[in-house]
Amino acid sequence: MSPRGRIGPALWAMIALNYSLVLGPILVVVVAAFSPTDFFVFPPPGLSLRWFRAFFELDNMRGAFLLSIQVACLAASIATVLGTFAAIHVGRRRGAGAGLLQSVFMAPLVFPTIILGLALLLVFRTVGIPVLPGIVLAHIVVGLPYCFRSVLTSFQSFDPALEEAAQSLRASPLQTFLRVTLPLIRPGVLTGWLFAFIVSFGELNTSLFLTGPGYVTLPIEIFSYLQFEGGQLVVAAASTVQVALIVVLVLAVERLVGLGRVVRG
Amino acid sequence: MTPVMRAEGNILLPVFAAASRSALLLPPLALLVLFFLTPLLYLFFVSFHAPSQSDLFGEGLTLGNYLRVIGDSFFLTIIERTMLTGALVALICLAIGYPAAFAIARMPPRHRLVALLLLLFPLMVSNVIRAYGWVAILGRRGVINSTLRNFGVIDLPLDLMFSTATVAVGLLTILLPYMIISLANSIAAIDPHYEEAAQSLRASPVRTFFHVTLPLSAPGMTSGLMIVFLLTLSAYVTVSLLGGPRTKMLVSLVFDSVVAFAWPRAAAFAFILLALALGVALIVPAVLRPGRVRGLG
Repeated sequence: MSPRGRIGPALWAMIALNYSLVLGPILVVVVAAFSPTDFFVFPPPGLSLRWFRAFFELDNMRGAFLLSIQVACLAASIATVLGTFAAIHVGRRRGAGAGLLQSVFMAPLVFPTIILGLALLLVFRTVGIPVLPGIVLAHIVVGLPYCFRSVLTSFQSFDPALEEAAQSLRASPLQTFLRVTLPLIRPGVLTGWLFAFIVSFGELNTSLFLTGPGYVTLPIEIFSYLQFEGGQLVVAAASTVQVALIVVLVLAVERLVGLGRVVRG
Repeated sequence: MTPVMRAEGNILLPVFAAASRSALLLPPLALLVLFFLTPLLYLFFVSFHAPSQSDLFGEGLTLGNYLRVIGDSFFLTIIERTMLTGALVALICLAIGYPAAFAIARMPPRHRLVALLLLLFPLMVSNVIRAYGWVAILGRRGVINSTLRNFGVIDLPLDLMFSTATVAVGLLTILLPYMIISLANSIAAIDPHYEEAAQSLRASPVRTFFHVTLPLSAPGMTSGLMIVFLLTLSAYVTVSLLGGPRTKMLVSLVFDSVVAFAWPRAAAFAFILLALALGVALIVPAVLRPGRVRGLG
């Protein structure tokens, strides 16, 4: 099909190498989670759900899992609203200002987030912001670029004449937004929310500094468990729960908007 | 409705719309100013203070936190290791990722989509899980050791964890998708006419690749190298899980200082890390000059 020639066996071998390096470790964790044994034996002698039971019976793990879901929902929702505001403004703007604003809103994406975590910790300590709002605020900042970019992509195929038509029919700006603009950028808004949720749910670097006693997110709980506890197969189960949740969300994106736009956007 | 009324509406509404559009910009900008820009400026400010027993930082300005790092060979060794590991990981990602990206760019669109999604999915999985995957493979009771023992190849488990090489392998596989996605998009964007022209001038496929495809993929190489290198700098969890207590990187120094409540020192390490990141972000494009591809520079 391609005018550029076929993919030879050497290239297929390189594809196999790359994908096994990237996906292999995740696969091992998922397989290990179903171990019936006390420690990971490869290949596993059978399958069991005992480590998933153990995961939900551990108060710390279950609490961290529920907290992570709540934080991710809240942070993703606020980041989506703010990212959509920013994208609506930037999407209509022309000239140098648009480019500048675009890099401002994308900045948290390329910034070393562990430093952002440290900086926020110092500010929160000085001003006196409690742990939980602090984590949510950090996750909003980290998620904002994903929402912004996703909604902005929707604007590239957006015909401003539709809004002008609504306004010439005397729709108020709010009506125009709710009845015309929002339905058109809906796929971008949904994708942005799901991405911000996934990013928050797996976020490590800012959370490392910002979680505190009683408020530990699942990735941080997994990390401290790996550092300080012996039985690691509970961690494999916790990880598999997280991977499963991501798979469900990715399938949701596929059902709602199609995955093609995610890769291109 | 008379034509006159409609005309009035057309004149006034865009003014309101423009005003409300500017108002939209305020909340997201306020978020970034309050919880991104201000904290970083504050951190920079803190880095110029002496430590304090009771407060976050002591009184009076000092360069001491930075000078201590420059004068201490222990810190300099760690910084050197950080930079070498980052450069090595980025270059190996480029070397092994390029052939895969090249193949992906040549797939029919449907297959390319699946191939890219299989790389996007691992990026969504938390890095702590992906690093743990390597613990499960390389650890004393991991896949490699238990398999070798089952087959009677070894009696005692091999020591595969807690070295710079382990950290590099972990970082490499965690960050590889960024490199491949960025290369594949860049290679796919190359106008096929250039390659056809080279071949019609009787250039061999190898010559075409090195004289046409490779130079034209400079934008993908630049962004891939930059993303991978920058992300190695702040990968504390991977470094800590795979490197153990002995293989420290610059980011471990930031973390250790925070644990010791040495806030000004942590701030100084953070800004040294940022300065190195900025240096990389300037050097890589200066060497590869991706602007040439678009006829700039």
